[in-house]
Amino acid sequence: MKHFDVVIVGAGSVGLPLSWQLAQRGLNVAVVDEEASWGRGQNRAAIGGVRATHSDAAKIRICLESIEIFSTLEAQYGFDIEWRPGGYLYVAYDAETEGQFRSLLEKQKAAGLHIDWVNPDAVARLAPGILMDGLRGGTFSPEDGYASPLMAGSAFHSLALDAGVSFFFNSRIERIRVEDSKVISMWVGDEEFRADLFVNAAGAKASDIAKLAGFELPVFPDCHEAGVTEPVERFMEPMIVDIRSDAESGNYYFYQAATGQVVFCITPRPQIWGRDKDSTSTFLPLVVRRMLELYPRMRNLRVRRTWRGMYPMTPDGLPIVGYPDAAVNFLQATGMCGQGFMMGPGLGRILARTIAAGGCHDRPAGTTEYGFVFEELSINRSFDHVELLK
Amino acid sequence: MHMNRIQQHPVLSVQKERVRVTFYFDGEEISGFEGEPVASSLIAAGHHVFSYHHRDGAAQGLFCANGQCSQCTMLIDGVPKKACMTPVAEGMDVRTLKGLPQLPAQDEPLVQAERRSIRTDIFVIGAGPAGLAAAAELGEMGYQVLVADDKPRAGGKLVLQTHKFFGSEADCYAGTRGIDIARILEGEATRHPSVTILTNAPVVGLYKDRKAGIFLNYESYLIVEFTALVVAAGAREKALQFPGWDLPGVIGAGAFQTLVNRDLVKAYRNILIVGSGNVGLIAAYHALQAGIGVAGIFEAAGRITGYQVHADKIRRMGVPIFLNSTVVRAEGAEKVERAYVAAVDEKFQPLPGTSRVYDVDAILIAVGLSPCNEFLEQAQRYGIMAVAAGDAAEIAEASSAIYGGKTAAVRLACMLGKKTAIHVDWETTRQVLASRPGDSYERSFVIPGPEWRPVFFCAEEIPCNPCATVCPVGAIQLKSLRGTIMDLPYFAGNRCTGCGSCVAVCPGLAITLVRRVSDDKAQVVLPWEFNADFDIGAEMDLVDQKGGFIERAAVVAKRKVAARNTWLLTFKVNVEHASKIAGIRVQPEALTLPLGGEQGEVQAEAVDDLDAVLCRCERITLRQAVEFIKRHNVRDVNQLKALRVGMGACGGKTCSQLVAKAFALAGIDFADVEPPTHRPLFMEVPMGALVNEGLHKLGGKDAGARGAP
Repeated sequence: MKHFDVVIVGAGSVGLPLSWQLAQRGLNVAVVDEEASWGRGQNRAAIGGVRATHSDAAKIRICLESIEIFSTLEAQYGFDIEWRPGGYLYVAYDAETEGQFRSLLEKQKAAGLHIDWVNPDAVARLAPGILMDGLRGGTFSPEDGYASPLMAGSAFHSLALDAGVSFFFNSRIERIRVEDSKVISMWVGDEEFRADLFVNAAGAKASDIAKLAGFELPVFPDCHEAGVTEPVERFMEPMIVDIRSDAESGNYYFYQAATGQVVFCITPRPQIWGRDKDSTSTFLPLVVRRMLELYPRMRNLRVRRTWRGMYPMTPDGLPIVGYPDAAVNFLQATGMCGQGFMMGPGLGRILARTIAAGGCHDRPAGTTEYGFVFEELSINRSFDHVELLK
Repeated sequence: MHMNRIQQHPVLSVQKERVRVTFYFDGEEISGFEGEPVASSLIAAGHHVFSYHHRDGAAQGLFCANGQCSQCTMLIDGVPKKACMTPVAEGMDVRTLKGLPQLPAQDEPLVQAERRSIRTDIFVIGAGPAGLAAAAELGEMGYQVLVADDKPRAGGKLVLQTHKFFGSEADCYAGTRGIDIARILEGEATRHPSVTILTNAPVVGLYKDRKAGIFLNYESYLIVEFTALVVAAGAREKALQFPGWDLPGVIGAGAFQTLVNRDLVKAYRNILIVGSGNVGLIAAYHALQAGIGVAGIFEAAGRITGYQVHADKIRRMGVPIFLNSTVVRAEGAEKVERAYVAAVDEKFQPLPGTSRVYDVDAILIAVGLSPCNEFLEQAQRYGIMAVAAGDAAEIAEASSAIYGGKTAAVRLACMLGKKTAIHVDWETTRQVLASRPGDSYERSFVIPGPEWRPVFFCAEEIPCNPCATVCPVGAIQLKSLRGTIMDLPYFAGNRCTGCGSCVAVCPGLAITLVRRVSDDKAQVVLPWEFNADFDIGAEMDLVDQKGGFIERAAVVAKRKVAARNTWLLTFKVNVEHASKIAGIRVQPEALTLPLGGEQGEVQAEAVDDLDAVLCRCERITLRQAVEFIKRHNVRDVNQLKALRVGMGACGGKTCSQLVAKAFALAGIDFADVEPPTHRPLFMEVPMGALVNEGLHKLGGKDAGARGAP
């Protein structure tokens, strides 16, 4: 039997930074993951976008903290994670989209975000070669950016190791012992792990883990495919998001990484539910058509590789963060809806702060000011809200 | 123009009527032959540096010559392309790529996006010996078969083989040259109307929905829907990492064959070969035929790993083979100019004080092949019905691959529910043809008599028998020990007519004819596969089985056996030498000496292997990889992607064979390490091609003129 202060299930986008932040505060932390190494669930599939320009206060706060961590990781700890504050550019080619963005803009500004409307000329300066025909402009948030998920994952793993976190890879949670709405222990393979606090950071498999503890978690993974091109000299700066839908796809987004590759991802229509990680023949012709319609210059850019990952979706597109009634010491940090990479570091720091400040089922934020985060993202919420920029 | 062109080749015909084109390299006018890759034209013109890496400015050039590694990427008409796969064209603008390429501002809107797909019963990846044999068999059974190959011609690596094949005539065209076998196999497949072969058609992706993507003609994207798959994608050359291995001039032996035998480029002046397997041995032979010197073959193991008869042949031509030694370093300004070799201990570690330096301009790496089995692994993961054949299944000779293809075809048909069975002899034949060499025997000394008789210089059991089948009087038989073509041939009886058929057919050039013509003189007939533009009376150095000098003698007669494209030279020699003489030295000994002469020992400046590049695409050193593995306690190859190892243009094809070394140096047993995940694309494809935008949109300065299809 092993004893820890905290056992985290999942060494991914959320679990890695959380484990580091907890260990930094003196806690004895174990991270258990069924993969052979860290970040091999959906972290490796993330494309690397990081933005605070959401429409909900909790996510805005979480991501502002993430950006602070990402952008200072190199200066503070010496890890180059290829962070680049290239900004996010949401483009509008019709009046309806423009209207949506403009009305949201007011809320985002009110939340203190640095974001503004940019006219077509400004769009062309940020992204030379983008289709000008019909372009009405867009919203641009210069403080958002992107980083390498692989390098960031390795950086957090390194920091966690140095802070004393114990990692257990190729290790499955077989069984969870719950007594009186409290998790007593988890069986990792044939070994029992005990702790005061357990954390579900299992990403796309979070609902399976919850089920082992005897409760339902409304997290349903759906599949998205992504790709990366060869590197070329920088020709565009921001992450570009096109939220228009057509018959076979929803929104899509792409950016040019610090090292020159263009990374892209698209939301299929209809959504593909499930956990299939294997690539399909439909993705490339579909996403490339939309990329070239928007950005014809990329016709000569060579696609290097594609992959498929999952968005652990919740019914309303917001994460689930908090202590469930059915297992009061089993903190859920799940349902990131494809934004685990950008929320992980900020959420990790917020959770570590609240835990250090006495956070628990009855008072999740402890003595901190993060109460609104737990309120908005509560597992007991109604899930009927719809987020525009998901 | 003719600076580095092969003007005359003993086996290949040098077509005089090839069309010359003029193109521009960094503004300088250069001529090449229409249709040959840009890389070959440039190397023929003496240009070996194609790009300077964006990370550290390192010079890069041709490496795999196979469209796989991307090291030869250049700016061609403004667009980054692989010089080894892009045919040169009149007026083309080729530029050295310095750093990252700039995306050309071709901003006109997309006018068409089209998806093209076809359906077939069986999709065969690779039109080498295995793929073609499988296609022929499946075509015979009536299946609709589509074969896709990335090269301009069917035949796989056979099209690079100017030498005669081992094996048996009945089973696999032994004694016929590879280039000719390729044509025969292609004909066997395409005589079935249901078989189609697509060339210039690399498969770039295999997908879960039982479809594959082809980068057709390197211009457009074709999706193939199929029921079952044959993976006959061949093999890739294993890499060898040492300081300087990333210099232009260090290339795979297969890449060298492509330059020399396909494109007739005399790419180098004097080379050194690492590895004594059949690939390394045959590369030496190809070099000599092309008029390129071979300083030596260096083998880290304590024995020759290829066929003995092959090795002896190469030694007789004047190429020394050094065991327990290897290359430790290459040096030169932007290109190989010197190679250091050293003796190694049983753990292949260089021994101090043993290094010598050779004046060579290329180092050929021939340290083995590894199967291209990614498509098979993916198919199995996706639950797609698939079989592998040829090198993709097991590294062996092309002869064995033919039988692998045939048996794979029948296995697939059975999986598809056809009531059929594998011909009883096929699997046995395949296994015999794939055999490693067996035992060696000492042959008894032959005393020449007044009548002709053959003398055999093959002493090691290998799957080969054409001498026995070609003899018109049945005077050559196999000594029946195993009862297969592994058995050694011997002279049975005295009916030899001196026709020379056996001498001309032997792939090992290991048969001579002798007869006594006077008290102290005898005649010996030797095979000759080099330039024969000399007169009777020309003197040559004759050597024994292992290349040791015996005597210098004059040619008294020469004739060509046209069917084998081989000359037979007759010499008059001392009678006691006649049956010891096994061949003719081709290159002078001076070419094979290290700098400073025979004892020329040079102390290489110590360069730690760790500081040599591990990942050529991203310029990551072995040290960086080892430190990362140690720091993170890595047990998963995929994690090296955080260092970008495996994320480059080659998709890990080169470094995946080298990462084991990094784990070993970090003290981790590679058996405990999670293997890398393979994902599409297998080769980079421009976005315009993926939506079949049309030729006119794919770039090129005369793009508009070519017009849309």
